[in-house]
Amino acid sequence: MGSEPIERRVSYVGDRLKGSRCPFCGKEYFRVRKYCGNCGRKSLGKMEDIDYFYEKGVLETCTVVKEPTNRFARLGSYIYGIVSFHNGKVRIPGRLTDINLRNDEPINLEDFEGREVVPRFRRRYSVEKSDIIPTISLAFTFADEYYPYQEYEIIRPCKEYEMPGIVGYGVYVSRFRIKEGGIERSVPFIDEDAITASVESGKLALIHSGVDHRLVDKIYVGSESNPYAVNPIASKVAQVLKLGEEEKAEGVQGVDAVDTEFACKAATSMFKDAMALVCYPKNPMKYVMVIGADNAQAAPRGEPGGELDFFVGFGGAAFIFGKEDVIAEAEGWYSCTSDTPDFWRRDLEPYPQHGGRFTGEPAYFKHIIKAGRKLMERMNLKPSDIDYFVCHQPNPAFPARAAAILGFKPEQYAPGLYASKFGNTYSGSSPIGLAAILDQAEPHRRVMIVSYGSGAGSDAYLFVTTSQIKDKRSRQKFTVRYQAENKFLQYVDYATYRKFKEGL
Amino acid sequence: MREKPAIIGIGRTKFGEHYELDPEDLIDEAGLMALDSAGMERKDLDACYISDYLLQVTNKIGLEEGFISQLLERNIPIERMRSFSSALLNACNAIESGRYDAVLVGGMEKMTDRWSKIRDNLMLLEDHWAYYAGGTPETNHELLLREYMKSYGIRSDNQEKLMMTLAQISVKNHRNAVKNEYAHFQREIDVKRVLAARAEEKRVLGLYDFAPISDGATALILASPKRAKEYTDSPVYVLATTLATDYISYSSRPYRAGFIASKISMENALKIAGITLDDIKILEVYDQSTVFEMISLEDLGFIEKGKSWMELHKNFEDFKGFYHLDSKEVYVNTDGGLKADGNPLGATGGAQVFEVVKQLKGEAGQRQIKPDGGLLFGCVQEIEGFGTKVYVHILGGEKCGK
Repeated sequence: MGSEPIERRVSYVGDRLKGSRCPFCGKEYFRVRKYCGNCGRKSLGKMEDIDYFYEKGVLETCTVVKEPTNRFARLGSYIYGIVSFHNGKVRIPGRLTDINLRNDEPINLEDFEGREVVPRFRRRYSVEKSDIIPTISLAFTFADEYYPYQEYEIIRPCKEYEMPGIVGYGVYVSRFRIKEGGIERSVPFIDEDAITASVESGKLALIHSGVDHRLVDKIYVGSESNPYAVNPIASKVAQVLKLGEEEKAEGVQGVDAVDTEFACKAATSMFKDAMALVCYPKNPMKYVMVIGADNAQAAPRGEPGGELDFFVGFGGAAFIFGKEDVIAEAEGWYSCTSDTPDFWRRDLEPYPQHGGRFTGEPAYFKHIIKAGRKLMERMNLKPSDIDYFVCHQPNPAFPARAAAILGFKPEQYAPGLYASKFGNTYSGSSPIGLAAILDQAEPHRRVMIVSYGSGAGSDAYLFVTTSQIKDKRSRQKFTVRYQAENKFLQYVDYATYRKFKEGL
Repeated sequence: MREKPAIIGIGRTKFGEHYELDPEDLIDEAGLMALDSAGMERKDLDACYISDYLLQVTNKIGLEEGFISQLLERNIPIERMRSFSSALLNACNAIESGRYDAVLVGGMEKMTDRWSKIRDNLMLLEDHWAYYAGGTPETNHELLLREYMKSYGIRSDNQEKLMMTLAQISVKNHRNAVKNEYAHFQREIDVKRVLAARAEEKRVLGLYDFAPISDGATALILASPKRAKEYTDSPVYVLATTLATDYISYSSRPYRAGFIASKISMENALKIAGITLDDIKILEVYDQSTVFEMISLEDLGFIEKGKSWMELHKNFEDFKGFYHLDSKEVYVNTDGGLKADGNPLGATGGAQVFEVVKQLKGEAGQRQIKPDGGLLFGCVQEIEGFGTKVYVHILGGEKCGK
């Protein structure tokens, strides 16, 4: 099978739920159409492009699928039905996702029907390991459960800042958790992976920032769990989120998209590149998006590398950098690198290995402390000058120790500590911590983030929040805390966790 | 009245699992039976219209016309359609236009040949977006039922009555099939079993609500009225054969509590045949699920919209072998329907026509019905896809053929 033209066409329409609307009578279609059935020839070529990607629909009728067709078999049982948008102007088939239906539970379809749902970008179905991974947004979750409906409104920027910085951000962590050894870790649903988490976090960042997606000129996606060895995630994110300008229905986005890789600092490394590009002399980029997302990899317990299986999580964070309507200005940065291979995965190997005790002392701590100290030195700052500190979180203990060594107190680093809620989300780890701080920081607070990537290196940044951080807060319902302490979380056992992580 | 084509011979195989037979073996058997019953030789055929849905995917056969040519050892025009009804409609058009005088119409399917993929293959007949969203061959039937119940506000106790009625439809069809030596399932079931299957599968509709996956073939010989007279004194005429279509995407249809195409097709057929619903005493509906039988009776006009479940529920309190609907008495699926007779897609319509022809000719043996006032007209409804194409054929004996 591999990759066929039909796959691209289905994804182009289905990932975004593209449709058309007649400018004369308002009739809507799912799928792009050149003319309206009511208005005929006068509508030819005048149909408006619409999509249902940011919309909220209603699950009108549904049924339970117990015996899926072959490619859906790994989903087990699920709810399938008809979803309407815009008061029934359009109806499309859809599957509910993020529900782990158990066979012994009675299902009352009336509990599901009539409820509002939001489209989710997910894997479509199982394919051969060598095939292109098909995706679609015909998967839905209830708008009043874990993942809330949020309107995407493009907002005209009102202020240009001296320094570049963060304009908006979004964090996506899945609904499922495993609770073990006193900590919770996020678990992807079976149809999720690093690609879907990247798209979701990018979508949330656009919603939060109010940035016009067409003005994002570059996207970096940092991940170490791209399900492809060769094929970027960033291209999918750019296409689905329609980043950069697009000629009408041409299907090619005017954006530079690239994946980056350096263990858990694949995303933070690009923050400075993103900020440099928006300050580029003569023709600066308007906005640059950086995403760090991982379905953190780990071998099953008992196998080499299986120690990681106690700590891995799933999730991603997206940041949009620019110079207008900045919520956190960058003050400075410092990076350091050494050839310390404490975590690696050889080509064609399914799971990474790591260096045991070696990963702490000469690897993690050495780099984080050096980068943190150096940045404070350069900026002439003491730990007490900094309001919040966050660093890479491979487990709950390491970041607390690193923070203490650097001279930070629990009230400075605790707000960004989520390892005991999400586990280690690899490339998403310190960025999610940063987002958690931005979720609650008042204006004019100084935040330090120090990432760590095995292999090894650290990136340290200092940001100072602006008054606009409060203005944008109302556009972010899906905060880090909301995701960590949500009453709709679903807890799974170890076998389910492994199955979900393995994916479709 | 325009001259109507006549069915002068008809044949079929037993439906079921024919592991040892190729599709061409099946159509050979049905075709020979049809020719034999007409008393016609292969050389007298002017053309063939044959049908199958899935041989391309189940058997990797893509040019069925060649197989038929080889079986017949003839070089006549042969065309392949999807459903038996489509083949019949096109054959009728050809005969009515005066192009041919004797045509073999045949259908075949070999659904058990690739058992592990057949449910995926059936999704070829639906909107591919429904497939991508996780739809299965059963989901639309269940959604149709939900839409029906919501449209007509059927809740709690009434909902239970409706579900019971559906179970009784299945039981009725199984009972009818006991007398049908060609049926896939020649055995009775009881309501308990239908309900138990639903409960066990924790699904709205269960195993016994759906037609099975079958192998089989059917065939008939269609002739111009003039040619028919050379072979038989009692032909059965195709008085009307109509087709109406609907969107492939069920969710996009404005009307989802039934099939608008059924309604249109039936209205046109009655007009063409010049009869009314009251004239139809025997009806074969396409009961791919028990829901289809219930809702088709409304779509075809036998019962008011939204009343079918209640009317049938009353009928089953003291079932006499026919439905008493709105002062009409109509025998439905006397061969066991798709549920029990079987559902080898491309051949299915042929079995429905077979039943009506046999009943009209008084050759239905143990199954023969004897309604008051004789049996003049019969009706067949065949559906392609999920209400996407609906064919209606009205058949009548000598007295109405002219």
